[in-house]
Amino acid sequence: MATSKNSGGLRQLLESTYSVIALLFILVACVELCDAAAAVDVYRLIQYDMSGTPFGSRFAALNHHASSLRFPPGADLSRTVLIIPLRELNVTFVREYITQKKPLGGLLFLLPEVLSFKQGGNKQVHEKGKMKKLLMELEQLLVHSNIPYPVYFAFENDDIDTVLADIKKNDAMGQPATATTGGYKLVIPIAEPKKVASPTITNIQGWLSGLKADEDANQLPTIAIVASYDTFGAAPALSWEVTAMEVALWLFLKWQGFSIFSTQTLRQEEAEELDLKVVLKHKKINISDPRVAWEHEQFSRLRVTAATLSGCPVAPELFEGTGGLFDGRQYVNETAIVRGVKLVAESLARHIYGHQGKSAQIFADESSLSVNPAYIRSWLNLLSQTPRVAPYLSKNDPFVMALKKELAGHADEVNVQHENLEGIFTFYDSTSARLNIYQVASVTFDLLLLLVLGSYLIMLFCFLVITTRGVDDLIGLFRRPPSRRVKTA
Amino acid sequence: MTMFHFFNCAILTFGPHAVYYSATTLSEYDTFGTSVKAALVYLGTVLVKLVCLATFLQVSENDGFDPYQELLKVLIGFIDVAGLYFALTQLTHRNISQIHKFQAVGLGWAFADSVLHRLAPLWVGAKGLEFTWDYILQGLEANANLVLSISLAALGSLIWLRKNKPKTLIPVIYACAGIVATMPSITSYLRRGLGWHFPEVVGFELFTSLVMAFFSWQLFSACQRPSA
Repeated sequence: MATSKNSGGLRQLLESTYSVIALLFILVACVELCDAAAAVDVYRLIQYDMSGTPFGSRFAALNHHASSLRFPPGADLSRTVLIIPLRELNVTFVREYITQKKPLGGLLFLLPEVLSFKQGGNKQVHEKGKMKKLLMELEQLLVHSNIPYPVYFAFENDDIDTVLADIKKNDAMGQPATATTGGYKLVIPIAEPKKVASPTITNIQGWLSGLKADEDANQLPTIAIVASYDTFGAAPALSWEVTAMEVALWLFLKWQGFSIFSTQTLRQEEAEELDLKVVLKHKKINISDPRVAWEHEQFSRLRVTAATLSGCPVAPELFEGTGGLFDGRQYVNETAIVRGVKLVAESLARHIYGHQGKSAQIFADESSLSVNPAYIRSWLNLLSQTPRVAPYLSKNDPFVMALKKELAGHADEVNVQHENLEGIFTFYDSTSARLNIYQVASVTFDLLLLLVLGSYLIMLFCFLVITTRGVDDLIGLFRRPPSRRVKTA
Repeated sequence: MTMFHFFNCAILTFGPHAVYYSATTLSEYDTFGTSVKAALVYLGTVLVKLVCLATFLQVSENDGFDPYQELLKVLIGFIDVAGLYFALTQLTHRNISQIHKFQAVGLGWAFADSVLHRLAPLWVGAKGLEFTWDYILQGLEANANLVLSISLAALGSLIWLRKNKPKTLIPVIYACAGIVATMPSITSYLRRGLGWHFPEVVGFELFTSLVMAFFSWQLFSACQRPSA
């Protein structure tokens, strides 16, 4: 009886010991995980081929020392990453580096925190006009160049600010970071970028049919409202263009249950009532040019009357105006969007129901049909937080599914078409990663340390020999060979 | 911080033990077995201490200094002393003089302590890219610990193995032994209660270890002389 009790107690003892030892191992494992001075989310510059010509940043992995813009002139930067915050950006400097193909280990651009989607976009941006212009210029430069080293974007935060201040201090003392002088090392452990296999573009179509009157001579032909929901920017993980007023408009119109499929021209009278200036612009289309300047030109080639609503007076160049880093939620004027939506809705309604010339507003404010700002705002919030570069959206992307569901809720019939994007464009993956910043000591430091430790141990040895055996023994350690000679003699 | 740094910190942490063994007369008298046995006794002591800590100590949320918990830790710390007593007196050693016995036991004790408490963090941390001063400070702490262990072993052998001690010195011996035995609690009080940083604590440990070693040495040589 006693022995069983004893063995039970012993087993309990052993079990508690095991649990404590297990805890110790977990603790040791945790020590390994938080290793770096700072770890930041970074987003890579887009990498794509257009008709075989490579563009964008061609590499992803990074393992170099960091330096700021104040590096000593003439320093070798082929194994250094330049950290450039947006405030200090000089686009000519970057352009010079890229066009002259100067060797560089990598580039890291720091964007102000206000542009981050985590902020919610309600902060005031100082000098936002200037920053926006800078960013646009930088983006256009980067997207159209072939850069043989990794280029990343990151948002500023306290950690990275302290690191950058430290680097600037070191650089000012004329000590660029290398393996022998210490400093900071930037490491991004990521695989080589691979091509995105069969990128698809998803088209969502919804049909809403109106009342079919028998042999109505005035039956309107189908009106198609087309909006693009995708973006293209320098960093695919950050492209959440918000001038997708078209998407908001399109959804709103569906919500009101309108039969709105017909060819359409905008009316200036409706515009004046809403205090908006609308200008109709006619432009000749070059049919042989594979690129179209405005979206409606595709339809015009098929002899369908079409128009494009845009805030830009001139057609944007390739990849311009498709929403990039600078298009943030805080740059969007909600009231302007609501007004624009109302304008289009009003003019469409009057056209469809034949109220041209009359001054009654169908979508008057405070009526049950008025534009709901909360609805527009919630969709704008979603759009501003979702990066939507088309090749990186999979077939079942949650955003696409959300659009389809919303449309299905209000239209009779919804079709989803997937189109393959092979051919002219090839895109590469690895769009975002985690950057680890390590503070490293130089090799010379360790060599010095080795020297110091060696001399310390030797001194300790001598001290112990002297105190325990006497000085003679110490000298005797170094004088053993002569004693043998004495013996033979 | 690379293998080179790991190597540096390793020789700082474990080098002095090897140097001590080879430099003093310990190597001549082949006291290696005693050191090994002392190391094993230390391992057993640590296990017993762990179990007691796990059973009796409550995990507090804040990192502050709780006197009651610290008192418990001091009491559990005396298990250390008991372990040392066991190693000094109960184990059958070869016929080696008292001087070598306490040195060998102290050396084995300190070596086992260093390996158990410092090898794992060193292996995991010092090989990474990030540089910190922590591992060098840890090595210095290991050195201080070596000196303290040998002093404690010396005082312990005086208390338990030497029968004829000068009467006046006995309270001094016990006082010094008490101080050295409670060093871990003192350092933890400094770290948590007074908020000292690691470099300062290591400096304090080095200083006190040298002072206590000096006192122990004087006491031991005083007791060597035949009592009047």
